[in-house]
Amino acid sequence: MHIMEGFLPWQWCLVWWLIAIPCLVFGIWQLKKILAADREALPLLGVTGGFIFILSSLKLPSVTGSCSHPTGTGLAAICFGPWVTSVVCAIVLLFQSLFLAHGGLSVLGANIVSMGIVGPVVGYAIYRLLKDTPVNIYLTVFLATALADMFTYVTTSLELALAYPAEVGGFGTSFVMFMAIFAITQVPLAIVEGIVLALVFKYIVALKPDILIRLNVFSEKQINAARGEA
Amino acid sequence: MAKSYLLEILAVVAILAFCGIFLYTSSTMAGAEFSGSDNVGSNLIAELTGKPVDSFSPLIPQWEPPSGEIESCLFALQAAIGGIFVGGVFGYWLGQKKKDLSETNIQ
Repeated sequence: MHIMEGFLPWQWCLVWWLIAIPCLVFGIWQLKKILAADREALPLLGVTGGFIFILSSLKLPSVTGSCSHPTGTGLAAICFGPWVTSVVCAIVLLFQSLFLAHGGLSVLGANIVSMGIVGPVVGYAIYRLLKDTPVNIYLTVFLATALADMFTYVTTSLELALAYPAEVGGFGTSFVMFMAIFAITQVPLAIVEGIVLALVFKYIVALKPDILIRLNVFSEKQINAARGEA
Repeated sequence: MAKSYLLEILAVVAILAFCGIFLYTSSTMAGAEFSGSDNVGSNLIAELTGKPVDSFSPLIPQWEPPSGEIESCLFALQAAIGGIFVGGVFGYWLGQKKKDLSETNIQ
């Protein structure tokens, strides 16, 4: 989902940076608050952040004959909210733009918006929507993580289509063309990512249910029910 | 029993299906290069603007890994950093849980 350095006009770079920076500042503030209240949240941040590091380094082949990588952001978004996730993503994306020439410093803002903000916000919204319903918590995690992944790529398509509207058909045509590259490739990856992260969540529930209850990720009743059946 | 491992089974099935789909597309699809979608996207930008890909130069100068080997090395490093966090924390939690259990047993 990286927009390559130099492939976005500077005006758009500036726009996405201006959107990204307040989110990052708020995320750092929120992270400090969470960690000050509960040091035991730090290991959970390590696990959820660790998966962002791992999954976003795996470039997997897909049905369209090209490769793409999952994002892994959904899990962190569920546990800590989207803004803290933005901070972790910014670190990963900075690493990739400095050492791997994937993305770059000028387009970093745009890449943070797609992978670190819109994706996690969508995942978090879905989780909040399903949280207090009788929907199985693992299904909730699956849907939130898979759609966080999908919407990251939809956002990249949107960012590129806004910057490069087609001569014939304008923004809409471009958007469809970029979606064909980014989003269709991503469908199978998002499904696998969702299942794998739901499985990871099951192990977190099995090993450290109390931190999930304290952070109010799910209620005690839901966690206990999930432990009973799993 | 079967129900308690439902997620594990689903994950294995999904990963196997994913590999199956890859083998199928790579053997049947002509011209499938499995290049990064980032590059495919950049090519589309070049197509839309009518400018060659090479004419897009970085706005901020950046270091590029000199070869694919070095790039994959750095990607492996990134995954390893993540793996250390995940493995370390799960081990820490496992140890905590064991300690809690043995303490409650003593009491």
